[in-house]
Amino acid sequence: MLVQQIINGLTLGSVYALIALGYTMVYGIIKLINFAHGEIYMIGAYAGIVSMGLLTLLGVPPSLLPVSILVSFLAAGVVSAAYGVTVERLAYRPLRQAPRLSPLISAVGVSIFLQNFVMLSQGAGDLVFPITFPLEGISFLGARITTLQIFILAASVLLMAALTMFINRTRMGTAMRATSQDRVMAGLVGINVDRVIAVTFAIGSLLAAVAGVLVGVYYGLVNFSIGYVAGLKAFTAAVLGGIGSVPGAMLGGVLLGLLEALGAAYISSEYKDAFAFLVLIAVLIFRPQGLMGSADGSGEKV
Amino acid sequence: MNRSLSRAIVPIALLLPALWLPGCGGKDEAVITVGVAGPMTGDQSKMGQDFRNGVELAVEEWNGRGGVLGKKIRIDVNDDQHDPKQAVAVANKMVNKGVVGVIGHFNSSCSIPASDIYAKAGVPMITPASTNPKLTEKGHPTVFRVCGRDDQQGKVAADFVANVLKSKRVAVLHDKTEYGQGLADEFRKSLGTRAEVTAYEAVIQGDKDFKAVLTKVKRADPDLLYFGGVYPEAGLLVRQARELGITAPLFSGDGTIDTKFIEIAGPAAEGTYLTFSPDPEKVPTAKLFLDAYRRKYGPHGPYSIYAYDAANILLAAIRDAGTTDGRAVSKKIRDSSFRGALGEIAFDPKGDVRTAPYVVWITRGGKFEEIASKPAP
Repeated sequence: MLVQQIINGLTLGSVYALIALGYTMVYGIIKLINFAHGEIYMIGAYAGIVSMGLLTLLGVPPSLLPVSILVSFLAAGVVSAAYGVTVERLAYRPLRQAPRLSPLISAVGVSIFLQNFVMLSQGAGDLVFPITFPLEGISFLGARITTLQIFILAASVLLMAALTMFINRTRMGTAMRATSQDRVMAGLVGINVDRVIAVTFAIGSLLAAVAGVLVGVYYGLVNFSIGYVAGLKAFTAAVLGGIGSVPGAMLGGVLLGLLEALGAAYISSEYKDAFAFLVLIAVLIFRPQGLMGSADGSGEKV
Repeated sequence: MNRSLSRAIVPIALLLPALWLPGCGGKDEAVITVGVAGPMTGDQSKMGQDFRNGVELAVEEWNGRGGVLGKKIRIDVNDDQHDPKQAVAVANKMVNKGVVGVIGHFNSSCSIPASDIYAKAGVPMITPASTNPKLTEKGHPTVFRVCGRDDQQGKVAADFVANVLKSKRVAVLHDKTEYGQGLADEFRKSLGTRAEVTAYEAVIQGDKDFKAVLTKVKRADPDLLYFGGVYPEAGLLVRQARELGITAPLFSGDGTIDTKFIEIAGPAAEGTYLTFSPDPEKVPTAKLFLDAYRRKYGPHGPYSIYAYDAANILLAAIRDAGTTDGRAVSKKIRDSSFRGALGEIAFDPKGDVRTAPYVVWITRGGKFEEIASKPAP
């Protein structure tokens, strides 16, 4: 049972981690908690469902499942990144010199707007993902892991590795790290700060979109309100790991998923969510900067 | 310019009260309003829409025959978002508007608090779907339901599990709502010692991941899963149970009987048992209703016919009482028996229907079907 719960928790946690990365990267660069990020994830899930539906309509046979999944990842990523960059351009950039509270309120507004926008344009009911994965899986140590769970874990690890490479090895990644350390100084040495911020939003949204499609396929249904809880959990994961820290968001996400699964199994399924937040409070009391955040607030944040 | 503008505004301003007066629907107006309440948006919106359609159809038929007491009938649709707080808010709104009665709500957790508001104002309330016993145990003389009760439903399920399926190890799950937990508890109580309850767990309504709970359930090694809850969770639950390798069949209540359940669960829905009232397609009196409904809205939902009958009962009682006074109408409802699409309906002193024939259904070939043979006593 322990092994099974760890598998459950890891699957859930890796999805949280993917969404948490978007929160933490944006915070690292412009010190903004982007409350609309959960909605970007939800839009990604919708884009995924719509593109899968289109592919089925166009007569792509079910045997080409990997192809249609790949296509819907791409479609969802592009749509979500476009939304993310547009939101930044319209709702946050004009407020960049404003007090820190103003963009925060703007973010809450964007979140409410996007939720209602999707509800009115796509309907309020549940949409069911048109494809189903085989239910059987591999058994080991008395536990079962489905092909879908393996796929989610693999996709998440791959994306996180790619992100780490991107931040540490590319010119853009270096520019992002520089911007997070000192935005003004980065601008003075010739970094196009606006572009760096836009790219950060695009990458964060892309990761959220992938998470959206993964979750959509995993649970098989999507509705306009899924962004709220997912966003809240991912935000918690980001704070748990230390907001602003990329490895922290990964750790925080996986940890939160594990805590939920184990809490539900060994303590009480009724208080599953409360348990996760209790741990968050405990961490914040004893280590306010989060597990991997730096104590003095300086240093590399991306 | 200024003068001509004011000259134009004054007559318009004088006309305004005349314009909105007919809309406010006091009791002396030529229109009476019937309230409809249920989840009109959100994940259970299908049920709310079914309610609205059923009531709308009944009201149209009445209006076609000239209305009731010489007045046309209007419906006022309200969304309680399956949220008890919202249910109380819309109940107050409808009472203030002066509705002559309310058809609703869907969820027991909404109907129970809302019933207090209606009872205080003396407005008759007939729920087509809330099955929690507490609703009519409060002793409000204006509260009725045309569906059965969870203690009756839980007993039918428990008898079937013990006598027909002969399950020995049962895992009981619920969604912590008035309806879900109520039904699960009634089932457990009726089952008694006929089978061992090896797990009793809760899930959170609106949650998507039940793997942690199900892993725990799997260790209890059940040969049957019983779930008290509504179709979105039921669908995810049975699908994730199969993914974890739990092969025990799912048994659920009337909250699960919706095609969305089969869509969400996919192939995992096969072989799921449910308790529900008999198939209206097999009830001879329902034919006229079913044909009319199909022509106007397409396939009927599980509770469309109940909403239709509830509206007819309310309007017939108003006609027979000769007044829209809520207390007189309620007395009429209680004392008469009605011939509805579902057949003969009469109420007991609590406001429950006298006969609530629950039967067991099964999901087979992507469809719900009634299991013909009655379980042996």
